[in-house]
Amino acid sequence: MLLEVLLALVLGAVVLLVLRRSKAAVLKTEDGWWGAGSPPAGAEDESIRPFQVETSREEIEDLQRRIDQTRPVPSLEDSQFNYGFNSTYLQKVAAYWRNEFDWSKQVDKLNQYPHFKTKIEGIDVHYVHVKPKNLPEGRTAVPLIMVHGWPGSFYEFYGILPLLTEPANADDVAFEVICPSIPGYGFSEAPRKKGFNSVCAARVFLKLMRRLGFGRFYAQGGDWGWQITTNMAQLDPTAVKGLHINFAPVENVGPLLILSILLGRRFPGLFGFTELDVKRLYPRVEKMLVEPLKETGYFHIQATKPDTAGRGLNDSPVGLAAYILEKFSTWTDHEFRNLEDGGLERKFSLEDLLTNVMIYWTTGSITSSMRFYKENFAKGFYPPHARIPVTVPTGVAAFPNELMHTPKLWAKQKNHKLKTYTTMARGGHFAAMEEPGLMAQDIQKFIKVVEGKK
Amino acid sequence: MFSLISPFFLLRIGLTYFLVWRRKAKKSIPLGDGWWGHGQQTLRDDNKIYPFKVETSEDEINDLHRRIDQMRYTEPLEDCGFQYGFNSNYLQKVVSYWRNQFDWKKQVAKLNEYPHFKTNIEGLDVHFVHVRAPHRPGQKVLPLMLVHGWPGSFFEFYKILPLLTDTKDDLAFEVICPSIPGYGFSEAPHKQGFCSLDAARIFLKLMERLGFNKFYLQGGDWGSLITTNMAQMKPQCVSGLHLNMLAVTKRGVGMLLSLIIGPYLPFLVGFTREDVRRLFPYFEKNVYDLLMESGYMHIQGTKPDTAGCGLNDSPVGLAAYILEKFSTWTDRKNRDLEDGDLEKKYSLDDLLTNVMIYWTTRSIIPSMRFYKENFKTNPQNRVDARTGIFVPMGHAAFPNELMHCPLPWARWRFKDIRSYSYMPRGGHFAAFEEPRLLAEDFVKFVRKVEGKKR
Repeated sequence: MLLEVLLALVLGAVVLLVLRRSKAAVLKTEDGWWGAGSPPAGAEDESIRPFQVETSREEIEDLQRRIDQTRPVPSLEDSQFNYGFNSTYLQKVAAYWRNEFDWSKQVDKLNQYPHFKTKIEGIDVHYVHVKPKNLPEGRTAVPLIMVHGWPGSFYEFYGILPLLTEPANADDVAFEVICPSIPGYGFSEAPRKKGFNSVCAARVFLKLMRRLGFGRFYAQGGDWGWQITTNMAQLDPTAVKGLHINFAPVENVGPLLILSILLGRRFPGLFGFTELDVKRLYPRVEKMLVEPLKETGYFHIQATKPDTAGRGLNDSPVGLAAYILEKFSTWTDHEFRNLEDGGLERKFSLEDLLTNVMIYWTTGSITSSMRFYKENFAKGFYPPHARIPVTVPTGVAAFPNELMHTPKLWAKQKNHKLKTYTTMARGGHFAAMEEPGLMAQDIQKFIKVVEGKK
Repeated sequence: MFSLISPFFLLRIGLTYFLVWRRKAKKSIPLGDGWWGHGQQTLRDDNKIYPFKVETSEDEINDLHRRIDQMRYTEPLEDCGFQYGFNSNYLQKVVSYWRNQFDWKKQVAKLNEYPHFKTNIEGLDVHFVHVRAPHRPGQKVLPLMLVHGWPGSFFEFYKILPLLTDTKDDLAFEVICPSIPGYGFSEAPHKQGFCSLDAARIFLKLMERLGFNKFYLQGGDWGSLITTNMAQMKPQCVSGLHLNMLAVTKRGVGMLLSLIIGPYLPFLVGFTREDVRRLFPYFEKNVYDLLMESGYMHIQGTKPDTAGCGLNDSPVGLAAYILEKFSTWTDRKNRDLEDGDLEKKYSLDDLLTNVMIYWTTRSIIPSMRFYKENFKTNPQNRVDARTGIFVPMGHAAFPNELMHCPLPWARWRFKDIRSYSYMPRGGHFAAFEEPRLLAEDFVKFVRKVEGKKR
């Protein structure tokens, strides 16, 4: 059956190749406005306002009350994390959250870096702006924008920020980092109108960087951050000096890709497949069909009925935690599905995990965060930007437990100026949070290649 | 050359035909066995049937009200209707009715109008409603089991029950409406693996325990699969099987041919004009629409414990999740309306009573697990998918049902179809929405079966 499907794909691809004319590699976009009602007359307020994360006794007491009210349902015997978040372990997490987690302390931690908000296209965009404190004489910090994904936030970068802004090595590059929140996530206002997809987010972030005075900068991202930073590079290749990504799923299925899938196991050398590539891609049906199907239920419901999916999660903090933290377990290592505690605390602290959840909880942004999925697939799986390559220098950090594995050959199909491709030693989807040291190292390696070439 | 090949060729053809014929000749599937209670199976098997009453308390109602009051509203996108899921603005109206006007005590009394019972089968307390026909001289009373689906319940049948049990003519029914284990008042399985085959076997045991050795079956949604399995397990017990939903099983070339030729020369592939109207354009109606509407199935079929967690704490979330289906699966055009046209065919009292059954019993998570258990093994390879159904069958094809199955396709599996009706109106929740139409078609089917017997 699979062979027939693949043969059909090959034939189809050949036909397409013959019929398709070469397209101009420029992503076009129009301006947008996402506030309520119609845009007001006059110019937009472009001021940049400092912002502080705040909390109150009411907020904490309300959270605790809701945690107390949770109605747990026991998991099936011996099911671990295979049916989703295990109920027994969830009660442990909820108890910690209720009795030990200190949100006030975490808010102070969030505020250790300066936060700002500025209005772009009618909505308030939040970001963290971190400058190096001790820059040696004659050196300037390299501007870098780091974009998070779902169900993450700017907070995922708090572990890697000191490594990038105050690198230990003298000959490492010191960065000035901007970590925005995607509109609809955390402290960034949610769009009120339909249609806010990754290209819109990219356009908004390009405007942000311009407003902050950065004419040229680097971009880093995984998950939606990958998509948005890629779109930024496609919209304005002159502004994006280099693109570093830790997630690079295939958007465009070409004949070379199909051939490599069909023959890659037998002839890995032919396609430059490493041992990791073969391990992650074969057996085909299991790794490319069954595994993704098992893990994309959330994607499917969020891309079709986000308002329904998020509704209950905005009232139940324990439900929200289960929904979000299940990903931090399974997407860090699929094997964690067979553990009673989902292996959650092997790579992350409960404090950090719950701080991320609190960002969704206190801002009530779970539903708007889910809508991003629907907006991005409104036009199907093959929007215009999927067909346009990336022409800025790119570096790929391929973490071994990432959700979707992309061999170098596939990454090259999309990123025509692939400068570095690193098979990372360990780590999964939430790379910046799980392995900040490894990630920072690879970013440095990539930058040196790009800057060195100059 | 030909003379050498032909004997082997004929032998192979003959052998294949023999094996295929043998497989098709299997008229039943094995019963199997199971035990679903806590821990180890106890030796004693309690066959008693206990009367059961639905109850409520001030605490239960106050808790519900408190949680409704705690709802944290999320603004919907402008002009989105029900396209992103349950519209938040309309949800507020529903919730306000629920909080201030809905009378759960009155609804509980309504539920108790019919006698309820529980009995222990395979380690689980199985709940059912048992409605006897009033004794009328000259009336033939036939036993019937009605099986619900998701997100429905036995309550969906409350409007059709009087039409079947309290008739004035020569035919009436004695009806059993069970709750699928894990739904409503039926205990949820504690062990993994409880699929439709197990539910079917348990319901067969129930009918046996109640003293029925021949009976009719009616079902839609999961009820359709479970009653079909019952007919496959003990065809000698099933007088007739009436279904309002038929899952289309893919049959390769035959189906492909009918899809290609069907729109142009329908009669050639056995399609009526109505079939063509309901099936085509195929891609849009069956693939695209199904993708749009099956997100819930995908997440419930993979991570039910995560999907249901928040819904078990947030009654508003639960209502949105469940009632979205009552809107969209009644008529897909409802997706474009601000209020999903929910109250056009149903009363809020009835809709919320169904939701309350899930809420008060905390059964949303176990109800979702049923999806995972049924999709664990490829459903096309399961023993019931590869076996035909030989009992008399009747199908009521409602125009707004999720999938349309034309008669020629139904014939692939159902070998004795006695009636096939194109219903004039109605969607997925046929018994709830159009009880009279369904009852009429069911009785028409039964008369055909009974007529043939005489």
